[in-house]
Amino acid sequence: MQKVAIVGAGHMAKVHAAAYANMLNAEPVAIMDIREDAANELATAHDAQAFTCQPRSLGDFEEMLKTAKPTVVDVCVPTPWHKEYVVKAAEAGKHVVTEKPMARTLDDCKAMIDATKSAGVTFMVAHVLRYFPEFAAAKAQVDAGAVGSPAVVRTTRGGGFPHGWNDWYANFDWSGGVALDLIIHDFDWLRWCFGDAERVFAKGLVDRELKHLDYALVTIRFKSGVIAHVEGTWAMPAGFAVKFEVAGDKGLLDFVNKNAVPLMIARKESDKVAAGVAIPESPTAQNPYFLELEHFIDCVESGQKPSITPEDGMKAVEISLAALESIRTGKPITL
Amino acid sequence: MAVKIGMMSFAHMHSSSYAGCINQMTEAEMVGIADHDPERGRKLAETFKTKFFPSYQALLEADIDAVVIGSENIRHRELATMAAEAGKHILCEKPIATTVADAQAMIDAAKKANVQLMTAFPCRFSPAMVRVKEEVDGGCVGDILAIKGTNRGRMPGGWFIELDKSGGGAVIDHTVHVTDLMRWVLRSDPTEVYAEISNLMHHEKYDDIGELTITFDNGVFTTLDTSWSRPKSFPTWGDVTMEIVGTKGVISMDMFAQNIIHYSDETMGVTWHNWGSNIDYLMVKDFVTSIAANVPVSVTGEDGLKALEVALGAYKSRDTGMPVALPMANG
Repeated sequence: MQKVAIVGAGHMAKVHAAAYANMLNAEPVAIMDIREDAANELATAHDAQAFTCQPRSLGDFEEMLKTAKPTVVDVCVPTPWHKEYVVKAAEAGKHVVTEKPMARTLDDCKAMIDATKSAGVTFMVAHVLRYFPEFAAAKAQVDAGAVGSPAVVRTTRGGGFPHGWNDWYANFDWSGGVALDLIIHDFDWLRWCFGDAERVFAKGLVDRELKHLDYALVTIRFKSGVIAHVEGTWAMPAGFAVKFEVAGDKGLLDFVNKNAVPLMIARKESDKVAAGVAIPESPTAQNPYFLELEHFIDCVESGQKPSITPEDGMKAVEISLAALESIRTGKPITL
Repeated sequence: MAVKIGMMSFAHMHSSSYAGCINQMTEAEMVGIADHDPERGRKLAETFKTKFFPSYQALLEADIDAVVIGSENIRHRELATMAAEAGKHILCEKPIATTVADAQAMIDAAKKANVQLMTAFPCRFSPAMVRVKEEVDGGCVGDILAIKGTNRGRMPGGWFIELDKSGGGAVIDHTVHVTDLMRWVLRSDPTEVYAEISNLMHHEKYDDIGELTITFDNGVFTTLDTSWSRPKSFPTWGDVTMEIVGTKGVISMDMFAQNIIHYSDETMGVTWHNWGSNIDYLMVKDFVTSIAANVPVSVTGEDGLKALEVALGAYKSRDTGMPVALPMANG
């Protein structure tokens, strides 16, 4: 039985806590956050212990480790703080999983890889997209030769500007905007399917200082010759769009989330008003976050390496940072 | 009085569509056809119930006001110059030419002869596109920040993949339509293009994949997919789409989305039958009514040249691996 301490009590922490609570071989034992009420609320929901810490206080973190004695630490705090918690957890001999993006800099990524390697702990970056059934199915089709030899890939991801603690997504020095925080999902999936990237060219709004708006268009040439176009948006007034297509010399795979909606519930606003809203749903039997963390816990218990390696986490960050650099310099960035 | 039109070459499949449009409209009258492939010309003269002329010169000597040029790209300059010198107005298939020098020579010849030169960009006449233009001009989405465009298609084959006739593959074929729409909507000209180009769809000498990033003078950045990436089994020929991101919202336009879907046991395939308005008809009608009224055509030779420059810049970017400033210093 793995005892999990979750650092952070925001949206992703809630999703992860619920996943561990549903596993037979893991349970959330501790929730730590700088917000006492948030930590208490999530801890209470899962019968775990709540811990409050000062912002970025590793002393408080070490205290928590001593008290709660977790075997696993799950890091769900804003990106720039991933490194310090991952390194400290590894040094304390804890297995670690961290939310994506792995870190804000490549130096941080390296430090995390070094610390977890030398501590001999299991370490995974939570690139959950690999466990989303539509993306897993596309990868399986590509591998099975469904499109022949792949040539051009296009992806779209995004919706409105995300809400986070203290509006931290709006601080692009922390979040990196869509190029780092959002479409790193697609960068990891693209690498998983098509191998390493060679060159990145991007345009985006990250430096324009627009209030609660970001948008980026990224073109990637892979070493295999595959060309990918990745759209990331936090500029849509409504809805959330996920699209991909893979075109090869023998076929085309095409996915648009708004066309894959098995359930639509349209309700009147009230008994007196005929108008209302329609809410689409795409329910699945298995939750991708559960599958991802189940794999991680299985690796912790069996000693196997997670299928998403720390190097995968770092290489996805490398593409995101290259996109940001290309946006800043106007030049293509060779990796 | 109907504008009298001569058709110069049917090498491009769009010419058959334009000819059909001309025969439908009272504002125009087809006088005849000339084609350097006489067999094709004779056959189509029969199809469109018009006269076949044995040479372009013979057609230009007939009683016509204007010509429609549908030759291979490489011949546009020769035919347009002949037509201008004969004093005929010109509707020329896109891309206007394969080099800046050729396009400029066509523009100059038309100006010198005091005839009009229109580039065939029918997408400007799409009712959906007209609505986009209205909404953007009305400020519906605020200031435009970025545009994501696509003009993807099936590989057309024929002379389109013979580089000495086409001047290039997917990039020269599919850059110009959406670049023109972007220029129209943005009221701004391209200042830079970067392109990732490959031939991995068909593994031949011609390019079939193009992902262009085009920056405009007003700071707006755009991308454009020009790829021949639709498989033979795709339910239609391709698409023209634009996603326009503004400070106040987003406009998504999918020009050829008005379809009924046809599943056939005869072909074991799926086909989209488009029921949208015929944009070729709307464009040809704009050409002939402008000629009849003696007012400037709404899409000019200069518009054709500006769009061509982006395609040629994209090829240069492929060769250098770097963004290319537009217009290019020496064509």
